[in-house]
Formats: sequence, C-alpha cells, structure tokens
Amino acid sequence: MGDSQYSFSLTTFSPSGKLVQIEHALMAVGSGQTSLGIKAANGVVIATEKKLPSILVDETSVRKIQLLTEDIGVVYSGMGPDSRVLVRKSRKQAQQYFRLYKEKIPVTQLVRETATVMQEFTQSGGVRPFGVSLLVAGYDDVDGPQLYQVDPSGSYFSWKASAMGKNVSNAKTFLEKRYTDDMELEDAIHTAILTLKEGFEGQISGKNIEIGVIDSEKKFRYQFGFDYSTKTLQFHIA
Amino acid sequence: MSIFEYNGSAIVAMVGKNCFAIASDRRLGVQLQTVATDFQRIYKIHDKLYIGLAGLATDAQTLHQRLVFRHNLYQLREERNMKPETFASLVSAVLYEKRFGPYFCQPVIAGLGEKDEPFICTMDSIGANENANVIGIELAKDFVVGGTASESLYGACESMYKPNMEPDELFETISQALLASVDRDCLSGWGGHVIVVTPTEVTERKLKGRMD
Amino acid sequence: MTIFVGGFVFQFDGFQKKAAETMKHAHGTTTLAFIFKEGVIVAADSRASMGGYISSQSVKKIIEINPYMLGTMAGGAADCQFWHRNLGIKCRLHELANKRRISVTGASKLLANILYSYRGMGLSIGTMIAGWDETGPGLYYVDSEGGRLKGKRFSVGSGSPYAYGVLDDGYRFDMSVEEAAELARRAIYHATFRDGASGGVASVYYVGPDGWKKLSGDDVGELHYKYYPAVVEQEMAEVTIA
Repeated sequence: MGDSQYSFSLTTFSPSGKLVQIEHALMAVGSGQTSLGIKAANGVVIATEKKLPSILVDETSVRKIQLLTEDIGVVYSGMGPDSRVLVRKSRKQAQQYFRLYKEKIPVTQLVRETATVMQEFTQSGGVRPFGVSLLVAGYDDVDGPQLYQVDPSGSYFSWKASAMGKNVSNAKTFLEKRYTDDMELEDAIHTAILTLKEGFEGQISGKNIEIGVIDSEKKFRYQFGFDYSTKTLQFHIA
Repeated sequence: MSIFEYNGSAIVAMVGKNCFAIASDRRLGVQLQTVATDFQRIYKIHDKLYIGLAGLATDAQTLHQRLVFRHNLYQLREERNMKPETFASLVSAVLYEKRFGPYFCQPVIAGLGEKDEPFICTMDSIGANENANVIGIELAKDFVVGGTASESLYGACESMYKPNMEPDELFETISQALLASVDRDCLSGWGGHVIVVTPTEVTERKLKGRMD
Repeated sequence: MTIFVGGFVFQFDGFQKKAAETMKHAHGTTTLAFIFKEGVIVAADSRASMGGYISSQSVKKIIEINPYMLGTMAGGAADCQFWHRNLGIKCRLHELANKRRISVTGASKLLANILYSYRGMGLSIGTMIAGWDETGPGLYYVDSEGGRLKGKRFSVGSGSPYAYGVLDDGYRFDMSVEEAAELARRAIYHATFRDGASGGVASVYYVGPDGWKKLSGDDVGELHYKYYPAVVEQEMAEVTIA
C-alpha cells in the first residue's frame, strides 16, 4: 500500500497530497454512532444514538451531548475519549473569552477556536488527529441560532441540518427531504427523532438516544426522561 | 512627586440623554515646565467609542497602541466593533497583565452601546473598575474624571452636572467644568479638547483657555 | 537635624520638619526687576501653589516696604511677608534716628543679616529689594541662604529662567519707562506660559526719583490672546507606526 509508507510520521503528506492520518480519522468518524443536528427558525436541536456495548452498562452514566457554555452544546461522532479532550479545551477557551471580555463567547468564535485545536493536531509532532467530528449548536445575540460541524482536519461549516456517523448519507437524504427554512423548533425536534429512527437498529427509546435543544431563551437544555411512545419531551436545564 | 503627575493631565466624561461627552486638557509638561499645548489625550477606538488616558504620557501612548492592536484583532476575528463594556473589560485585563510594573495611566472610557445607550467608566492603573460589580461593569450614571485635576473636576462636575442633558447643553457643561477645574491645577490646562457623541453625529471642538 | 543657635542645640522633630516644608508653598513664582535709565522696574506674577494645587491667583508678590522701596516675594509666603514687614519697621526706625531715608544698600543688608542669623532653620525667601535713594536707583538680590547680590537685572522663582530669556534678549539701558514696563510684562507673561507654577496677573511697578508707582496689572489669560491674537491651530498629526 503506497500510502502506508508515509505513515511513519503522522503529519507528513503522501505524494498524492493527502495526510493519510486525517483520512483514517474520518473513517473513525464514519464508523461512529450517528449524530445529527437541525437549525430551526427559533432554535437548534442536536441528537445522537446512544448504543451501549452491553445492557449491563448504566445508561444514565453515559452522556454524549455536552455543554461547552450554558448556551452552546456539542455532540460528537467517533471516539468518545477524543471528544472529551476537545470539550475540555473548548470549555476552557470559552471561559478565557469570558474572563477577558466579560461577555459570552459567540458560537462562531468558539467553533473557530475548537477547529484551530483540531487543525493543530494535524500538523504538530507527536500527536494524531482527533477521531471525532463535532456538531456544535448555539444561540447568541450576534447571529441567532447556529449549527456548526467541525471535522478532524480542522475544517468547519455552518449547516441548516447535518448528520455524521454510520448512517450519514441516509440521514442527510432524509433531512434534505424533510428540512424547510421556516421550520419551527418543535418540528425540528420531531424530524431529528424520525431521522435517527430511520437508520436505527432495534427499538428507539428515551434510553438509547440523546437530544439537546437551544432556543431564544439561550439556555441549552438536555433531555433526561424522553418518552417516545407519548412523544412528550421533558427538557431539563442541563 | 508621583509619576502619575509627571506630565499633568485632566480628563472628564459625562453622560447625557442618548449621548455622551469626553473632554481633556491639551498640556504636555515635564513637571512644571510646559512643553506642548496641543497634546492629544483622548483616543478614538471606533466611531462610538473613545478612551482618554490620564497620567504618564509615554505610557498613555504605548497603552493606546496596544489597545488599538487588540481592537483591530477583535474586529478582524469577530467582524464587529467592540461594545464599550467589552472594551472596558479588555482594558482592565491589559492593565492587570502588568500588575507588578504598571502603565502609569488612569483610563477614562466613554462610548455608545449597541442600542446607543451611553456608557462611561474609569479604572485605576492596574485595571480595577470603578462601578464594577461581580458579573461585569455597571454604568456610571453621571460622570467620571481622571488626571492631576481630578479633585477639582469632581467638585466642578458634582455642582454643574444634571441628568439627561441634550448634546448642546452637555457640551457647555463639560467645557465649563473642565476649564474651571484646570484653573486650579498647575499641571493641566492650556486649552481644552471636547468630543460630543450622539447616535448620529460626532462633534469635536477645541477650547480656548487660560494659557498659564 | 541639629541646628546650633547661640550655644543652644535645637532638635527639629518630625512635626517641625513637616511644618517647615509646608511653609514653602508659594515656591512657584516669577518675579523680576531691573535697573535702566529712568529707574527700576519691578514685576511679578500672582499665583500661589501648594504642590500641583493653585491656592490663589491674586497674590501680591510685590511688597511695598515704604514709598521709595519695594520687595519681591518668592519662596514661603509667610516668611516673605513677615520679614518684609519687619524690614519696613527697621527702615522707618532708621529714618527717625538719622533724619534721612535708608539707602537700598543698607536696607538689603539689614534683611540679609537677619536672614543669615536664621540660616538653616527653614526660612524660605528669595527676594529682590529695589528702590531709589540718594545714590539713584538700587537693586539687590537677597535670599534665606544668606546671599546678597548687587546687580542691574534679576529674576527669582521657578519661572525665572523663562523670564531671563525674554529679559536678556530685550533689555537696553536707555529704554523709556513704557518700553521697560512692556519688556517686564512680556517676560512675566512668557514665564507664566511655560511655568506651571506661575500665572494669574502680571503686575508691573516703576520706581523713580519720586518713589514707586504701580503701572499695570494684566490678567495673563487675556495677555496671551493680546500677544498672539491669531494663533493658527496646529493640528496634531498621527504618527504612523511602521
């Protein structure tokens, strides 16, 4: 394999102009559990599968959607441990921004900082790229509701709706069909659940998916007791 | 003599109705010796944000350059101007960086916020905000002063200031307060510089004053 | 601080030291005097300051010792006022005892001797004694360090270097009284412009054969715009940083 001889250094280009480690990282993301996000007119929803390796794992101890600030939430597809490094660094960045300006960090700024970290790990010595992609959902005074995806290469995009992980192409096709520009948050939440359900192996329930929501209240909320049968969403302040 | 009084200065900012004014003297001296009478002590950050730096002139100029540098980076990064509150917080952080070898300056910050609400504040040379609460900076509702004539300025402003003045009256008040104050200070005066900012226009005037 | 006076040993404690320092408040000053063809011109500003604070803009720094003699005031205001008053008394007593007015030389020496006797005890005086006596115009510089100088031209105080600049440039012996007064006024004005501790009113006195006369007292705040009516505003240009 031609590329593999250029894997001696993690940050050296192959003759075809690729950094193979980034390709490998994207593979790790692609085989990860499905996550998705939808930006609605009045808020953003992010959701993900939470498949656990055994029924013996206490599902309440696993959290895939996390807060970066009180009004910015994030979900990952790929390697869980890698995501925690990014979450830790991003939270610190957000607090440093607040310490400096006494103002909440705008979503764009936090995404950029996070992406910068991910890029650095594609160029620095002795490290490997992160095996995760992130979906960052936030709502701020500057730009309103926002949804960003950040990839292992450090590139990032703003999305109206996006998905990543195992079922990415099916999920995206589904979202493309269902998405409308004037979508309200309640619709978006419903669509998010339906999208997850599409590619879900087995019965979907409040215990094997996670949903996070941010609206104009600017408090990122995370669902605990979601009852899919009655379609009632109980959000709690995360 | 304190290093803060080496060059001499007088700066005052006042809040009016949907507007603010910031004024300074124009002297640059070396102790009692007057070297220049056209010295700039008020610096523009953007159209609706000004900072006056009282104290040691060389530090004021350096600090101003660093603040412009930081604001330029912010503008490029965030594609927007800083809010006055945000800028005040930045100034405070920049000053505290030099906690054990400070810039010998007292900043006076005045600006219009996002909804054109006036904001003024001042802090000491290591960034402790006057009018600060735990979460952030609270607006001073009336006036703030700085420089070697600060005591006289407090007196003049305390007696001349009224709330909710229109721009014209605000200009008159801040000018009279400044001129009256520097007449009791050896180290400041030699003319004045007044800037009145409303949501739609900026008026800048040079004041004639006693030249002694 | 140990001071020896007549065999006694004085110890200045902290308070006395502090008191001696605060007394030195009227330090910032511009005074000048010069002899010319017609007599003596004496001029001064009128500012009193304590540190950076202007405590008065209307101080009489030219003290009228008697109708033929003037003293100027620089240094401690109280010291100057007291010892000039004291000198006035001594001059009058000399006049009564000798049936003739004391000479400027004599008067200045009386003062210098007194100040010398208090040397090192914290007095702060820098004065010029100017007058007209039997020998014509007289001018002496006397200070609390014990110095006494006879001369044609003096300036005393923190603004004196600036006053000397104007005075030395414009001085001629054969000036008229008007020319001399204008030179003195301009010298005081320029000193008040450059010196932060000088300002207020520029007073000018003339002492001739018939005694002293106050010629003028101009607010230097107005003098500036009289001397420079159309000052072209020099705008500060921003220095571009490379």
